[in-house]
Amino acid sequence: MIEIAGATKQYNTVKALDNINLKIARGEFVSIVGPSGAGKSTLIKMLTCEEKPTTGKILIADRNIAKLKSEELPYYRRKVGVVFQDFKLLPQKTVYENVAFALEVCDATDEEIKDRVPKILDLVGMLKKKDNLPTELSGGERQRVSIARALVHSPKILIADEPTGNLDPINSWEIIDLLLRINRQGTVVILATHNKEIVDRIKKRVLLMKGGKLISDRIKAGYCI
Amino acid sequence: MSWKTFTRIFKLGITNFWRNRWLSLAATLVMTLTLLIISIFAMMTLVISKTTDSIRDKMDITVYFNDSATVDQIVSFQHQIAARTDVKEVRYISKEEALVSFKNQQAGKKVADLIDPNENPLPRSLEVKANQAESLDQIATFLGQETFTPMVHVISYQENRVVINRLIGFTTFLKKVGWLFSGVFVLISILVILNTIRLTILTRKNEIEIMRLVGANDNFIKVPFIIEGLLYGIIATIISTMFLKIGMQIITPMMNQYLGMDFSNQMTNFFSGNFLSIFGMEILVGIAIGIGCSLISIRKYLKV
Repeated sequence: MIEIAGATKQYNTVKALDNINLKIARGEFVSIVGPSGAGKSTLIKMLTCEEKPTTGKILIADRNIAKLKSEELPYYRRKVGVVFQDFKLLPQKTVYENVAFALEVCDATDEEIKDRVPKILDLVGMLKKKDNLPTELSGGERQRVSIARALVHSPKILIADEPTGNLDPINSWEIIDLLLRINRQGTVVILATHNKEIVDRIKKRVLLMKGGKLISDRIKAGYCI
Repeated sequence: MSWKTFTRIFKLGITNFWRNRWLSLAATLVMTLTLLIISIFAMMTLVISKTTDSIRDKMDITVYFNDSATVDQIVSFQHQIAARTDVKEVRYISKEEALVSFKNQQAGKKVADLIDPNENPLPRSLEVKANQAESLDQIATFLGQETFTPMVHVISYQENRVVINRLIGFTTFLKKVGWLFSGVFVLISILVILNTIRLTILTRKNEIEIMRLVGANDNFIKVPFIIEGLLYGIIATIISTMFLKIGMQIITPMMNQYLGMDFSNQMTNFFSGNFLSIFGMEILVGIAIGIGCSLISIRKYLKV
């Protein structure tokens, strides 16, 4: 499903990523851990096509996304759901509108939007608050909306960059539980996190990064730096 | 772009304009000021230009003939003058016409009855108008040639030369300064509105980033901002035209009183006479600045 081959990212003299090689199969749940500056965010940005590798390939379904033209990027991004630490919700739009917006940009019909948005909001437990603005929600609720937006066009891959970074333990567990449920339905989930407790308890594949390198790749492992 | 996408983007532009109403208000007010400055300066420059043109148009040379000059001589002289490319018009004024004109000028005064039509001392003359006031000097030199001296009594230009040259210099200077000031103010205003729109877009940098990350293409991101720019232009045009109209009504009597002249009346007449053109120009300039500045400001956020 995802193959990263020899990916290196160099900013002037600093190597943010150094010869990363890894494969992620369909339906996997992968946690990326490591200290600050390890290269987790750069790797995530490569997968969302916000950055391109200096050398190497990033193959998604056998297509090298590092070679995508700028006009192809929107179409790629519609196939990958992304969840951020700071939620990145549009502050002027309601919960419903934030989720619907992701479908509007994909040229979905009004009927499709009316059909899918309530279902996905129900899935993340936010249907009751569909008319609220993001400022009226708690951190955990905002992250649920962010997940709903990432999932609304049924992506095969969901990338979560520190999704629990701004949340308390209870909300964090609820979000992780939601991600695990989504993964059980067949979506690849890539989770970048600092949270040791979460990584230890979910017992899924863990990629450890340090200084831009992939130090270890262990199945059903815990957090260890 | 499909119709559905277009209406969606259009609605988004209008919704954004309303939801960011304080930013929209600030940008619209700055745009209103820009349009007001452009309109006032353009109108003032046009009126000054029109006034100076009419002053320059009134400048002419009159050649007065001796009574001894024959009609044939005068007609031949007239043809020679008319043949010059820098001459706009040559008009022959007979003794009778000169008398009528004299009587009209002196109407109501005793001096008007002093001249007996049978012993009319007023000379025949040719009134020469130049295509450009600057050519008057050359034409006067031509008229002053020795070959014509015997029949010419006097040439008016020689007497007024200094005043005319000064007037030509002054009107040219006034026109140039008018356009220069307009140009500088228009440039400053455009820079101010460009900066304002850039700031409104900068405050929404995150919004643009989110749009990109959920897969919006460039049009979906760009067009709502262009529509907002368009709305700034249209609303600012309506407000600035209203201000201009009300301002004219308030200021005209005051200016007339202080200046003791009807310059401001000319402005008012120009405004009401050219209302549609002024409104049309304002709306075109407003829309062009609104869309242009939005496009320039959004460009840097569309990369990646």
